[in-house]
Amino acid sequence: MATGKAPQPTYAEITRDIAATLGNPGKGYYALLTTAVVLFLAGAITVLLEVRYGLGLAGYRTPVFWGVYITTFVFWVGIAHSGTLISAILYLFRSAWRTAVYRTAEAMTVFAVLTAGLFPLIHVGRMWYAYWLIPYPNQRQLWVNFKSPLIWDVFAVSTYLTVSTLFLMVGLIPDIASLRDKATGWRKKLYQATALGWRGTDQQWRHYTKAYMYMAALATPLVLSVHSVVSWDFAMAIVPGWHATIFAPYFVAGAIYSGVAMVITLLVPIRKVFKLERYIHEDHFENLSKLMLLTGMIVAYAYVTEYFIAWYSGNPFEQASFWNRAFGDYWWATWTMLICNGLLPLFLWSRKIRRSIPALFVLSLFVNLGMWFERFVIIVVSLSFEYEPYAMGHYSATWADWLVLSGSFGWFFMWFLLFAKNFPTVSITEVKEVIPMPRKGGAH
Amino acid sequence: MTDGMDRRKFLKVLGVTGGGTAALAGCSTDDVAKLIPYMVPVEDQIPGVATYYASTCRGCAAGCGVHVKVREGRAVKLEGNPEAPINRGKLCARSQASLQATYHPDRNRSAMMRQGEGLAPAEWEAALAEVATRLQAAPAGSVWFMHGTQTGSLDALIGEFVTAIGGRRLVFEAFAHEAVRHASRETFGRDEVPLYRFADAQYILSFGADFLETFMSPVEYTRGFADAHGYRDGRMAKYVHIEPRMSGTAMSADEWIAPTPGSEGTLALAMAQVIVERGLGRPPADARSLRAALASFTPDLAAQATDIDAATITRLAQEFAAGPSVALPGGIGTQHADAHRTAAAVNVLNYVAGNIGHTVEYGHGLRQGDGYATLREFTVAAEAGSIQVLLIHDANPVHASPSALNVSGALGHIPFVASFSRFQDETSAWAHVVLPDHDAMEQWNDWQPRAGVQMLLQPAMAPVFDTRQTGDVLLDLSRRMGRTPRQATYKEYVQARWADLQRTLGDRAPFDTFWRNALQRGGVWTEARPATVRLAAGATRVTNPAWAPTEGQLTLIAYPSSTFYDGRDAHVPWLQELPDPVTKMTWGSWVEIHPDTADRFGIMEGDVVQVTSAQGTVAVPAYLYPGLRPDVVAMPLGQGHTAYTRYATGVGVNTWSLLPGEAAVFGGAQHYVSVSLTRTSRHERLAKTEGRNRQLGRGIAQAVTLGGIAHGALDHPFHVAHAAPVPEREEHLLDEVAAAQRRATDYGPYALRNTRWGMTIDLSRCTGCNACVAACSAENNVPYIGAEQVRRGRAMQWIRIERYFEGGEHGEPLETRFVPMLCQHCGNAPCEPVCPVFAAYHTPDGLNGQVYNRCVGTRYCGNNCPYKVRYFNWYDMSEPGAPKFAWPDPMHWMLNPDVTVRSRGVMEKCTFCVQRIRGAQHRAATEGRALVDGEVRTACQQTCPADAITFGNMMDPEAQVTRTAADPRGYRVLEGLNTKPAVTYLMKVRHLEEA
Amino acid sequence: MAKWVRPMAKASGVLMTGALLVVLVGAMQTSQTAPSATMQSFEPFQAPRDVDTTNLRGPRQPILYRHDIHAGQYQMDCRYCHGYVEVSSSPGLPSTAVCMGCHMVVQTQSPEVQKLAEAHNSGTPVEWVEVHELAQFVRFPHQRHVVAGQVACQECHGPVQEMVQVWQFSSLKMGWCLDCHKERGQTTDCTACHY
Repeated sequence: MATGKAPQPTYAEITRDIAATLGNPGKGYYALLTTAVVLFLAGAITVLLEVRYGLGLAGYRTPVFWGVYITTFVFWVGIAHSGTLISAILYLFRSAWRTAVYRTAEAMTVFAVLTAGLFPLIHVGRMWYAYWLIPYPNQRQLWVNFKSPLIWDVFAVSTYLTVSTLFLMVGLIPDIASLRDKATGWRKKLYQATALGWRGTDQQWRHYTKAYMYMAALATPLVLSVHSVVSWDFAMAIVPGWHATIFAPYFVAGAIYSGVAMVITLLVPIRKVFKLERYIHEDHFENLSKLMLLTGMIVAYAYVTEYFIAWYSGNPFEQASFWNRAFGDYWWATWTMLICNGLLPLFLWSRKIRRSIPALFVLSLFVNLGMWFERFVIIVVSLSFEYEPYAMGHYSATWADWLVLSGSFGWFFMWFLLFAKNFPTVSITEVKEVIPMPRKGGAH
Repeated sequence: MTDGMDRRKFLKVLGVTGGGTAALAGCSTDDVAKLIPYMVPVEDQIPGVATYYASTCRGCAAGCGVHVKVREGRAVKLEGNPEAPINRGKLCARSQASLQATYHPDRNRSAMMRQGEGLAPAEWEAALAEVATRLQAAPAGSVWFMHGTQTGSLDALIGEFVTAIGGRRLVFEAFAHEAVRHASRETFGRDEVPLYRFADAQYILSFGADFLETFMSPVEYTRGFADAHGYRDGRMAKYVHIEPRMSGTAMSADEWIAPTPGSEGTLALAMAQVIVERGLGRPPADARSLRAALASFTPDLAAQATDIDAATITRLAQEFAAGPSVALPGGIGTQHADAHRTAAAVNVLNYVAGNIGHTVEYGHGLRQGDGYATLREFTVAAEAGSIQVLLIHDANPVHASPSALNVSGALGHIPFVASFSRFQDETSAWAHVVLPDHDAMEQWNDWQPRAGVQMLLQPAMAPVFDTRQTGDVLLDLSRRMGRTPRQATYKEYVQARWADLQRTLGDRAPFDTFWRNALQRGGVWTEARPATVRLAAGATRVTNPAWAPTEGQLTLIAYPSSTFYDGRDAHVPWLQELPDPVTKMTWGSWVEIHPDTADRFGIMEGDVVQVTSAQGTVAVPAYLYPGLRPDVVAMPLGQGHTAYTRYATGVGVNTWSLLPGEAAVFGGAQHYVSVSLTRTSRHERLAKTEGRNRQLGRGIAQAVTLGGIAHGALDHPFHVAHAAPVPEREEHLLDEVAAAQRRATDYGPYALRNTRWGMTIDLSRCTGCNACVAACSAENNVPYIGAEQVRRGRAMQWIRIERYFEGGEHGEPLETRFVPMLCQHCGNAPCEPVCPVFAAYHTPDGLNGQVYNRCVGTRYCGNNCPYKVRYFNWYDMSEPGAPKFAWPDPMHWMLNPDVTVRSRGVMEKCTFCVQRIRGAQHRAATEGRALVDGEVRTACQQTCPADAITFGNMMDPEAQVTRTAADPRGYRVLEGLNTKPAVTYLMKVRHLEEA
Repeated sequence: MAKWVRPMAKASGVLMTGALLVVLVGAMQTSQTAPSATMQSFEPFQAPRDVDTTNLRGPRQPILYRHDIHAGQYQMDCRYCHGYVEVSSSPGLPSTAVCMGCHMVVQTQSPEVQKLAEAHNSGTPVEWVEVHELAQFVRFPHQRHVVAGQVACQECHGPVQEMVQVWQFSSLKMGWCLDCHKERGQTTDCTACHY
């Protein structure tokens, strides 16, 4: 479908251009990578300090027992979602435009889940016993409590990590193979290992496509299930502002919303740096932003519904809680969330903006910010204003919270940067699939 | 006890055999544990079993009897002695926390002598020799002995000692109630504070006496007050409090009347006038003689002076005369320059209402201290250089007296000062020799709180440090000075006096029997007959007191702290962290300002304010308190120590530095002073434990009026608006779930079948005194965490007294309600299903179990607990060497061996004292019987001075708790959430007519 | 303090112990009439006189106290030394005075007994090495198991009467506790032991 402003690339060019992205990195790349690693290390040291001295270093208090860490956990799980959506669901729907962007999205998914998975560990009081959340036979004859949504989380997140990783790897196989044949040195070894002996024979292709489709089918339900489960961490509790049936769809929509935003945030620089304008162009961004607009509207609707239900339920605790959100100590967080997620996406109704890459980039940043604050508002603000007036309390995050938060970004980008330099961020094979067959005797 | 074995090792060992003071560390990689037996078995000590010794609390002069719980030779908890006449088994917060002073890491560990600037440890021999020579060298009359209130043997011994060396003694007590005693001298010719019998009163009127906090005998008075004022089948006494500030005591009042500061006496006189004029009450014959004296105090005149309308005054007079009633004169908090007149007026009021001899008794010899004026004589003498040697015992005048008097300056003039202080405080800093006294837990002694009551102190354990009983030291000194006292040791001295006592009591039994019985009971007591008093000449000279602040300034009320008394308990970390009953502040000082006044000065809560009096200035954060007249500000005494252990030094400001130095007419210090406020640019986050002080209409603390009950208010009990009834079917399902849960874990003989432990708390008795909080901390090894962490909202107390305000705005009267909030042990506990590892779960006997060693620390339970009674260990308060270690050596010796000390990263909460429940069940099972009702008493219940708490098995229809819970006043907090709490609160009842 | 005072003191201690001993024996008589299964009946056997101490099981103790001789050969009741087992959560260890109660006269020549005597006279307690160590957040009420539960010492501590030097017979792990509790239909409630 790639409507060509640029002349149609040939197979050879595609392979060359994309393989070129794996060429020797420049200063900029190293600068980015170092920043990422430094941030990550700062976060890691903070966590070690908390293990030694206790979680008191972070801003937790009674009654706000969950804070920035769980907020960030939900944030990253959310980010992960669009990846699977774009690569799996759109694949099943045969929407060709995904080919250019799905690899980035998938990689993002894997690393986002990888990041999110750390937070439950960072957050618990006795990390060294976190394995007790895994049901396994032990001499103590103890078992886990399957009633607790946290146990569901354990399964949801670990499953998601496994499947999305597999999906990414499988998708990579043909590309890796074609790289393997050019690569030298340690990379060759890496590609040989990861290409799983791909030769590109008809039979392999037949199996491969089947397998890929099954994987896609397998991954699809996860898009809905994982974040639903995460949302139940809250919906299952009796905390005013949490205990709502709308949470699952609300969270899933929000997840995809933030995910797509993150995809844009990542694609724009990659496209520029790797000179992939010929493969990723406005059409792709426009489609992404349409998806963003859709999910954004769902999220905005959910906000409205929450307030409506709070009023309509006649439950004074619910009402007080939502009043406190909008006009209490944390009004600023709430309004940041409402503006970034509810108002700004309205710009996307204009085609001009949907096709303006700088505008989209800025917008996506705001959406990311807004979605982080959405979780902050749901978790912290609800907890700070619960049932017992005497026990209400104001939460303020500390350096430990912020360092771990930034550390998570460091960790995420570290992996992503490493990936981008060692594996094609745009699928060679699938891009080839969507361009018309080369004419006889054409350049090849 | 343990012949020559290292105590620490001993404790560690028993930590192992006795099973567990040590912190829970997954699997401990300690060095191999050693088991060290006694050399010779101690007959009354069995490892793993507690022994109780009867003794006496020495926190204040009240003389409450205690039972010291001793485990493996170490005192681990204090409980009230049920037989003791003063407290009847109850104790206050200060007493409950006092063990932290016994095991205080900063106690003086040995004798000390001055070396250069500071004091250095010294041999007792050398120290004693030094003091002896100094005493001998001193010319006659130049030796002063200053000590705190003493009664009984030590009082006598000091007396003998001082006369022998021809010295002078001075009994210093910061709160000597000089005004009340002076007034009693004038009106009745008796130099004492009367005893007030609340239990017999139907109408209680306090003119500023904080009788639930520091006034003479708080525990006894709380008990009496609760008995009178607690609601029982339609009846209760009415309590009206008259004071410009709503004190912690006033918070329990049905009616708080705030007159112009200092005018309380005028009100009392006006009431007396009404009573006499209208011939109300049952006045004694000679009461008429007051008629002339009172004639001028008409309600209308009083109305102008007091800012209370005449109608109210008349009403009060009528209600009061209807009796039986009791009126209390002002406490320390209202002791202004003219306070003796207030007290005299109140005496007259009591007299004309015929209360003297009934609810107000003289002849119990209640007096403490020589009064502030004598301290002034001391400073004068010292500055004149006529004091050569000063001995100081159990007194800290440098801190606990107006700085304007400059006691420290006086001490500087004294060549030689010897102190018996257990701690390095502001006064003993001036000492040349320190001869540290034993703690009350370690010594033989006796105490005579009042006529007819003789209490005993016995050493419940070996001394923690190398200290000596002051009595023994005095005997030793007099021997060194060439005299031969009749007894070799102080114990013998005490016994000799008790032998005399036995004779006076006409007890024929051999002394040993008498002595042993006394030791077992904690003392001997007989009912003293009150003296009959008649009006003295002074009574007819009553005049209205007057207090007027300097023009354009505010009146500062410097009131005694119910937590630190005069500051002597500021070194106890548990008390530092105990939220003040009124302000809920911890670890510091504050100035209470009325919101309107604050607006006038543009002050926000937490703004640091400069409070300036003629004597000095302090900078202290503002606390906005509606329970004040706008023309009054208030500050607590007791903080701002400059040297008093690591916990008190530099905490808060010393309010005494604002008070005038000169003594009032009646010989007491003045606690009212004019001040001006200036706002500074600084602001600080208050270290208070309260989130919001209004209920937001959620029915947490519920109350009805007496009139309301009469009009059937209890027929339709209060429901939170949203409390949607649970559909029949779901209700049914929930019950089935609960039943299944119980079946699944039915554990036969382990406990009574189908036990459901439950509790009731009667809010019409609770006075918010905090005793339960301190008792809980002591029983359950609850750590303190310090001001910064309290600011962060991480206080750990398992039970907290929630204090809510009602009204107080738009002219409606201000009402206070207390709710002791602890784990409700819900039947459908929201915390249980969300715990991923079953660390929070439901025990078969209906407890809401919390298994510390299983807890991973997800804190989901904390989020899901609507009552917010789960507390998380954000830091390691239990690991020696950790920055937040709460039990510095030797404080860890007081840890309860039956309760795990929680390490960082785990959730903890009230367990209904499960260790006591299991202990009782073990005992019962071993004796092959079932538990009986009342056998298990939780720590909070055991100590509650108001007896507001009952505990027991709700499944037992006969159990007291079951019967109490059936009271129509019963309600459960946040019932609408269907959590099925095990704690039933009985509504507070306000003695008001309107429904 | 004069030299002869200390021995006197010790002697008096021993006398006291003698008294205690009588009491204990009395207690044993009564408690044996009561259906107490504290001791399992087993064949009296002859403990080896000499043993090779180089590789005995269990931690090396400061004094080689022979449970096999005392409890096995001479059939002494466990409660004679561990006297608190029926009243307290901790069974208690014998004070050296209790040991000396017999060893003033019995086996005074044995080098191990002399170690004991030395310790007793010098007033330095013997530091026995703990064999059965429970995690410190576990409460184990001996009295309830022995009296109410009728559990014999040997069920957890193994054939102590045959041990030359005591070694840990049971794992003392939670699963091990639960097995027994389930077997006997006793509680498996967490707060029975953890609080």
